[in-house]
Formats: sequence, structure tokens, C-alpha cells
Amino acid sequence: MEEQLKIDFEKLLENSNFSKKNVEIKRKNFNDFIEKGFPNRREENWKFSDLNQIISKNIKNLSFYHDLSKPNKIDQSIFIDSLEHNKLVFVNGRIEKIEFDYEEKNKIQILDDLVLEKPNNANNSLLFLNNAFVSKYFKLIVKKNYSLLKPLVIYNITNKDLVSKSVNLKVDILLEENSSLKLIELSNDKSTTNFININYNFDVQKNSILKNYKIDNNSNSNVKYCFNNINQDTNSVSEIFLLSSGSEFIKNEINCNLNGKYASAFVNGIFNLNETKHHEIKTNINHIVENTKSYQLIKGVLEDKSKAVYQGKIFVESKAQKTDGYQLSKAILLNDNTEFNAKPELEIYADDVKCSHGSASGSLNEDSIFYLMSRGLNYQEAKKLLINGFLLDVVEKITDTEIKNLIKNIINL
Amino acid sequence: MLKIKNLKADIDSKSILNNFNLQIKPGEVHAIMGPNGSGKSTLSNILSGKKGYDVSGEILFENKNLFELEIEERAHKGIFLAFQYPLEIPGVNTNIFLKTSLNAIRKARGEKELDAIEFLKLVKLKAKELKFDEEILNRQLNVGFSGGEKKKNEILQMSILNPKLSILDETDSGLDIDALKIVADGVNSLRKKDNSFLIITHYQRLLDYIKPDYVHVLMEGKIIKSGGPELALELENKGYENFN
Repeated sequence: MEEQLKIDFEKLLENSNFSKKNVEIKRKNFNDFIEKGFPNRREENWKFSDLNQIISKNIKNLSFYHDLSKPNKIDQSIFIDSLEHNKLVFVNGRIEKIEFDYEEKNKIQILDDLVLEKPNNANNSLLFLNNAFVSKYFKLIVKKNYSLLKPLVIYNITNKDLVSKSVNLKVDILLEENSSLKLIELSNDKSTTNFININYNFDVQKNSILKNYKIDNNSNSNVKYCFNNINQDTNSVSEIFLLSSGSEFIKNEINCNLNGKYASAFVNGIFNLNETKHHEIKTNINHIVENTKSYQLIKGVLEDKSKAVYQGKIFVESKAQKTDGYQLSKAILLNDNTEFNAKPELEIYADDVKCSHGSASGSLNEDSIFYLMSRGLNYQEAKKLLINGFLLDVVEKITDTEIKNLIKNIINL
Repeated sequence: MLKIKNLKADIDSKSILNNFNLQIKPGEVHAIMGPNGSGKSTLSNILSGKKGYDVSGEILFENKNLFELEIEERAHKGIFLAFQYPLEIPGVNTNIFLKTSLNAIRKARGEKELDAIEFLKLVKLKAKELKFDEEILNRQLNVGFSGGEKKKNEILQMSILNPKLSILDETDSGLDIDALKIVADGVNSLRKKDNSFLIITHYQRLLDYIKPDYVHVLMEGKIIKSGGPELALELENKGYENFN
């Protein structure tokens, strides 16, 4: 693979016009990636999901360069039609549309010729890979005191032309003071066996609100990693919802730093998996200063031979007194071949905090099924009602009614 | 309506019911009384189709072999079990559950399914009859309900589904006297010439409010004595131990 990486990296530099500075950073990141390689289970963070193995098992002849010079057609049928929204559309990793028709133009800014920065997480080789191979790095800025009138949907579409490629995307989002953004990320994949590596950086400044809904629902054979770094200033709120369902493998990693007092973070997620799908949610919620709050609720329904992993960490810095941290994960295992791994972690250096965690998994309650069937429902209907009921309280946590209904629709709740 | 002949039921090779016989005709109310462990709940479970028992013998419901019917098919045919311990179903709205249940049964019977408005009208009416707080119907099914509310909810379901044979499995246990009266009123209002009841209970108390046509004493898996309502009183005076 190393040979392929080198060839593809040189090809990328040859066919792009990165600034000298960026080429320098890319080379550095490239070398760091070559040195570390894809993460494997020897790393604590990856002990339940050996990415190196997953990639070699699922992707034959992975290559790292593909030509982004020609535009791709957008399949408009993918667009959400029940909701007025702004759009950023990526097809096979190439930006195809930027549309903010509903917003005041001077309140939003998009930059795409940024100088790369060194990843802030020095251990994460996938961020090196991303930095080395990403072709365009975007930054969206929402100006001070501006709340977007309509949600922004980032469509991440891949089509049949994309096979066994490594695709890297990098988007930064800055919410200036007193601003707010509802962001839906919707992936739609008709491609086969690619490795899609996405890196988001959110900077949520004072009094700002970020609502981020990540929807991976259509069945596909891709392997994905999405790293989300969120920095939150005083009195800011982030609400993350993950629907983890469609891809063969996806790991969503959320690293959230509550840097300002009264900042709060909510991470809620659903695993809805079948066949051999293997998904992971990994969170690091870092309570850096006092009076910060975090809440995490993850639920999974696993069928066939699927596997879900939740590693949830709450870290409380010594000066982060009055921290309020909560996490709970639950899974229903629909047969014996499914697997749910939960690793809750609390690392607390302050003494006046409230933190709790819990995890439970089990099969569907047969007595409940009997109860529902005795009222005339057949087995499938009874099962569906129980599962929907189980998942509903996660969806109910979504604070935006319109988006909540959209997601209920997507999962037939 | 219901004919049980030589019913034998084992669980994990332990005999629970043995040589059990019972016949219920349309419009009749039968009470089965018995001590703990006599097989009362097993009987109601088997009638409604719960798996896990080794059974032999014969149960005919309207001349159909009950053993050939799935749990939900028995409900479609008109068998209803009011549970001793109604299950809590988180995330499922009580109203939506009731509507799903009613429409599943109506559909199986070839009747028109009710739309939301027709259903709400029906449910309001029934809830009022049973003095059942409608607000509860917007809550998750049985979640956080008091014992009395759970039992009343069973009776409400019974009243909405309008079954031919209703089995009440110790519905009186855990009820205070007011709730007991409401439950009894609910049952009495459903007594019609085609609707039958099988009331399973420890105590004679419920039978003060619901007058049975027949009382059977169940001990060690079989009926040892049958009679009229007076049998319940006799049982109450003597106790189970001296009865055998």
C-alpha cells in the first residue's frame, strides 16, 4: 500500500496547484501517515474496530488519487423536498454546488483557499491522511448575530463511478458570537468499497448554537470515518444527533471541548444495523471550565451479524467544578450473532461535579411481545412497535420540530 | 363457546395442569378460584397462546382447535386476556397502541379500519364509561401507571376490543375498593348474551361485584369442585386447605 500511497500523492501534487506552504504541510502530514499507517486494534481508541483490518477486508486495491477536475452530475432526487434548505453538495468528494438562497449574503462567507493547519490531535493518523490528500479545504463562517433562516444540508453523494478510492473532505465551520446554524449532513452512496474520511472543525463562539444532524441511512459498502472537533465558548450550545445505519462501516468521533462557562453539549445517537455492518460512535467530552454540561444518549438495534461500539468519555479538568455530565447507552440485540460493545469512561479531576453513566443491552422482551400479540398484532408488528418505542426517546431529544419529523420519516417512526 | 377437554400442561417436565375440563357457553360468567400455584395463570396463558408449555388434550373455541391458532389469531377470533401484570412498553403511546390493536383485529375480521377521528370518538366514550382519565391515554403504555391504572387500562382495552371471551387473570389483585368497583362495572357493562367471561381470582371479593354463573375450585391442576356463586362463600369461610 505504501508504494500506491507515494505514487498517488505525487500524482495529486502534480495535478493540483496547492500553495508552496500547503505542499510543505501536506508532505509533512503524508510522511506522518506513512509512518503510522491506518489505526489498528492495538490503539485503545480502535480496540473494537480495527480499521486497518476492516479496510483490507472490505476494499481491494485501495487507491488515493482520483481526478477532481471534471464536474459530476447531481442526482436531484436525493434532495430533501419536505424542507426548505441551503445546500452544499459534494459528489465523489468534489464540491458541485454552494447555494444559500434563503440567507442574507453578507452574513455568510465561504473560503476555500486556506492554509492547512497541523492536526490538533497528534495521534490520529487519519487526520494526517486527510490533510495530505484533501484537495480543497472549505471554511464556512456565520457572522456575528446572524442565525441562518433555514437549515444547511451538506449532501455527501458518491456515485457508481467511484470504486475503491480514498476520499478526503475537510470543512471548518465558524459560528461567530450570537449566531446559530442547523446543519444536516446527509450521505447518499451508490459507490462501492471506498474509504471516506471526513474532518469537521466547529468553532462555536460565545452564545452561539450549533445543531448538527448526521444521517447515514442508505445501505452501502463504503468504509467511513468522520472526525468532528468542536470548540465551544461561553454559553454556547451544541446538539449532535447521529443516525448511524447505512454504511458497511462508519466511525463517528466527536471531540468536544467545553472551553467557556455555561457551555453545553448534547450527543444523541441511534445505531440501526443489519447484515455485517459495524459502526462506532466515539466521544470525548472535555469539561475544561466550571459550570459546563454534557448529555449523551445512544441506543442501538442490531440485527443479523451487525456490531455496534460506543466509547463515551467524559473528561473533567480540575478547575471544571460544577460540571454536569451524563451518558447512557442501550442496545437491543435481535439475535445471538450481534454484538454491542460499550466502554463508558469518566476521568474526573474536580471534586464538585455530577457525573453519571450507564449501559445496558439485551434481547427483545418476549413477555412484551406476547402482550402486544395478545392484542391482535402479529409478531412483526409487535417487534416493530417495541423497537420504534425503544428508539423514539432518542429522536424526541431533537429540539427542532421540522428536522425531528424529517428524521422520524427517514426511519419510519 | 369454549370447550376444554383433558387439558394437560407441563413446564420443564413439571406438571401444572392435569385432566382439566371446562365448558363455557355464550353469555356465561365463570369464576375459577384456587390457591397460589394451582395453575390459574398457566390456564390463562395457554388460552391466549403463550409459548413455553408442553400441552396435550383439546381446547375448542367456537369449534376451532385453539392449538392451531397463533397468539394474534386468537385475539382476532375474540379471545382477550386481561393480564395480571400488564407490561410497560416504553416509547409506545397508549392511544396509538389501542388504535393499532383495534385496527389489526378489525382488519383480520374483514371490518373497516377506524380512522383517527372515529377511533378517538370511540376511545373517549369508553374512557368516560370507565371513569378513566383520558390524559393517561397520551402517556406511554403502562409506563409509570399505578397498579390501579394498569388494571383499568386492561379493562379499557377489553371494552374497546369487545371480545367474545374475556379472561381476567387476577384483575382484582392490588386494587383498592374504588378501583375494584370501576373494574367490576366495566365487566358488568360488557355482559351480553354473546360475551363470556372467565374470571380467575384468589378471593371472593371481586365476586361480590361481578356475579358469576359458575364457580370452580382449582387445586393442583384440576377442578375439584364446581357450583354456583355460593361456592365462593363457602371457600372463603373454610379456606383452601380445609376444602380438599
